Amino acid sequence: MDRKPPAFDPTATWQDFVKRWEQEVNEWSGKLTETEQFGSIMGQATKVQILAQKSFNEHMEKVLRSLNLPTREQVDALGSRLADIEAQIEALRLALSAAAPTDTARPKPPRTRKPTA
Amino acid sequence: MNDIAGASAPDALAQRVREETRRTLQRNIKGLDFLTVGRQTVGAMAYDTVHRDGTAALNHYRPLTDEIYRVPLLIVSPPSNRGYIFDLAKGQSFVEFMLERGYDVFNLDWNEPTRAEAGLGFEDYVDRFIHDSIARVQAITGEREVSLAGYCMGGALAVMYAALYPGEAVRNLIGFATPVDFSHMKLFRAWADKKHFDVDQLVDTLGLIPGNIMLGAFDLARPANRTAGQLQLWTNMWNDDYVRSYRMFDRWSAETLAVPGEYFRQQVKQLIWDNALVENRLEIGGRRVDLKAIDVPILNITAQHDHIVAYEAAQPLLTATSSIDCEDIVSKGGHVSVVAGPQAVKRLWPQVDTWLGRRSV
Repeated sequence: MDRKPPAFDPTATWQDFVKRWEQEVNEWSGKLTETEQFGSIMGQATKVQILAQKSFNEHMEKVLRSLNLPTREQVDALGSRLADIEAQIEALRLALSAAAPTDTARPKPPRTRKPTA
Repeated sequence: MNDIAGASAPDALAQRVREETRRTLQRNIKGLDFLTVGRQTVGAMAYDTVHRDGTAALNHYRPLTDEIYRVPLLIVSPPSNRGYIFDLAKGQSFVEFMLERGYDVFNLDWNEPTRAEAGLGFEDYVDRFIHDSIARVQAITGEREVSLAGYCMGGALAVMYAALYPGEAVRNLIGFATPVDFSHMKLFRAWADKKHFDVDQLVDTLGLIPGNIMLGAFDLARPANRTAGQLQLWTNMWNDDYVRSYRMFDRWSAETLAVPGEYFRQQVKQLIWDNALVENRLEIGGRRVDLKAIDVPILNITAQHDHIVAYEAAQPLLTATSSIDCEDIVSKGGHVSVVAGPQAVKRLWPQVDTWLGRRSV
């Protein structure tokens, strides 16, 4: 049989290698995530992460208070008031556009379309 | 080009070397550009925001055809992700595809929830956000019936809605990689293992669950993806289309949203631990979500290599409901490939159009 020699293509060879590597690592990881130990490690890691974050937040809160700067709680309260104002503006905008539709230039297409056979 | 017809082997080799040299130069030039440009723009289609309620935003896309189907289409985005995944860019947009085929398309999208919204749960998403959006779609279109579609958890919320409001607005139900049987969500079951995962502590401490917690879980399942993606990006740096596409997906992934703690707690306890949805034990607002109450036509779309929502996790949408008009599509690719990407445009979405068109008159 007359077989053509493979074309010289280093990029394709490299891409193929990366693809195979990706598949192998992901397969290995997939097996790992199914084990009991994985759940245990993840549970512990999440717990440590939360505790570290909690402790950092509390410490930061104290520092901010001592510097007479707004704390996260105060910024959150401000954010919440801002969100309320935004919501009210949006409600006004929607009410206005419903009362005086601006899309008269764009007639609504009829809802009569049928699928092509 | 790999082969030059009629060229001798040395000529072909010389041409290949020239091509590789050109690409290497392009990689270096464009690689520098890549590092200096801002965020990739996303969103191809014009829309109007027609309803807002805190984290929820209902967008109505402007029709592209002179005649549209009677039944409008409402797509529910997953609460942890931005809805522009349905409308990344021209030629890669599910919204654009459906608009061009004559559908009236709405998208229930989400903004980052505020701390005041940490207490939002399934009741709010189903009985308020989806319910109010459907009412708004009905008011705008003058039609009582709506085709309801959802992607991933957006699909699960759509299923809950369809089960709680049978015989009302939902004309058709489309699930894109929609989990129903959470016993097959292996990654999340391992990550949130009941024996080791203290969801109450997490929610009570953080209030809102940051997007990077969810992203971390995805990365653990596929740890090589990020590195391999960057290697492939470098190899394809000469190719503008590839780079643009990479940057759009990268932006979407990086913009994973925080979710309200209460919603997350319900997801973990009732769906992942108790598997209450498929076992018809889930209660929302004091009412039981009974999948058997769903009897509308269903299109269930899954991806062959989806490492997040396996086929078995979505399949009960066909078997656990009362619907007799059901269709199942298993497409090639991974979790995101059902709502974005070149394969979806060519193969999957035309099938969605064929299925939905007949049921939208």
